[in-house]
Amino acid sequence: MRRIFLIFWESFKEYIVLVVLIVVSLTALSFNQNKAVKNVRAAAFGTFALVTSVVSDFINVAKIKNENEHLAEMNAELMLQINQLRQYGIENRELKSLINLKDSTDYPLIPATIVSKSLTGAQNSLTLNVGTNAGVRPGMPVITDKGLTGIVFSVSDDYSIIRTLKNQNLKLTVKNERSRINAVMKWNGEYLVMINVPKTYDVQPGDRIITSELSSIVPIPIPVGVVVKLNNVERGIFNEVIVKPFVDFIRIEHVFILGIVESRQKNNLELNFYNRK
Amino acid sequence: MRKEILYSIILFFPLLIVQTTIVPLIAINGAVPDLIIILLVTFALRNGQMYGTVLGFVYGFLFDVITGSFFGSTMLSKTLEGFIAGYFYNENRLDHNFKSYIFPFIVLLCASVDAVMYTFLTQIDFRSSLLLLLFEQGMLPGMYTSVLSFVVVIFYKRRSSF
Repeated sequence: MRRIFLIFWESFKEYIVLVVLIVVSLTALSFNQNKAVKNVRAAAFGTFALVTSVVSDFINVAKIKNENEHLAEMNAELMLQINQLRQYGIENRELKSLINLKDSTDYPLIPATIVSKSLTGAQNSLTLNVGTNAGVRPGMPVITDKGLTGIVFSVSDDYSIIRTLKNQNLKLTVKNERSRINAVMKWNGEYLVMINVPKTYDVQPGDRIITSELSSIVPIPIPVGVVVKLNNVERGIFNEVIVKPFVDFIRIEHVFILGIVESRQKNNLELNFYNRK
Repeated sequence: MRKEILYSIILFFPLLIVQTTIVPLIAINGAVPDLIIILLVTFALRNGQMYGTVLGFVYGFLFDVITGSFFGSTMLSKTLEGFIAGYFYNENRLDHNFKSYIFPFIVLLCASVDAVMYTFLTQIDFRSSLLLLLFEQGMLPGMYTSVLSFVVVIFYKRRSSF
């Protein structure tokens, strides 16, 4: 029996090993939400990010001069915009007080630097140099000056992994800024698409898309992207709306984590991204 | 052999750092070359199919754990890739494999299979053009990786000329 097994092993060992390892890999796919696996990954990427942060800091230093010039220019533009917005803010506050609406609170911003990027077709993720010690929690939105970048997925003491908009596991409720139409947006591996938008709804190329207040992850309006195309699906009553994100995921280096304290009540009512199994 | 195992693990980490920090800066139209594939193919061609398969699995495991990608997806694709690369192993043609266009060709094949496999595993929505998707996510990064793998060919040629 042993001899037969040895002959069999000698003849097919490469295939046996391949099959065993494929089975192990496929089994691993089902352990993504396992708490122990999550803990191990948090520890592993935390250690690795410590090293990559040194490298990315070195790379960033070379870019700082150009960035400073760009920021100075942007600063001037923003100063003009702020003046205008300040006026709107005053008017807004007065109007809200007239109709007795609850005002939105201030959200703390946690600055972070991207220390590594994992850019694959369907599962883009970024590693940031801030973690639980800086107050980062899974589920917090990540933004840049351009708009929404992604959501914090996993956190270690000093580092965190975010899933960008270009990640299939992230589905977000967004709305058309002009026509106020809500829809679910997701990454299909090729484009960001707003799915199941009825054909009769008013959506046009050039419309700005922002996060919807219906979202349990990002409850404040943050720019997401711009409508570039309507895929007129021939059958059915729904359309697909293709959205180009404002954020360039290849070029971004610095982000801000929106320290939103999630409403537990709301979380229990809705199944948000982070709780999704 | 023990030395070879040590090298293959030690070289992985600096290459992963480069892959996650510098390589995204040279992405062309979203196509990011995969340096890990070049390393895996190199070791698989030097040590055989069994070695390539196991090394692919180890690389995939480390990549999934460290980068936070979908756990198991890279393990599976890299295992297959190591198996395919190891298929071209021939003890008598080691030099020939590394000094000719065969090496970039094997890298292209492996990178394309890897990307297609990964796409299939992580892609749930196939409503968009499947062929276009496979081209953009499979062939383009594969070709880019293959072009970069010429560095290994040049390195081997130079080393042997001294």
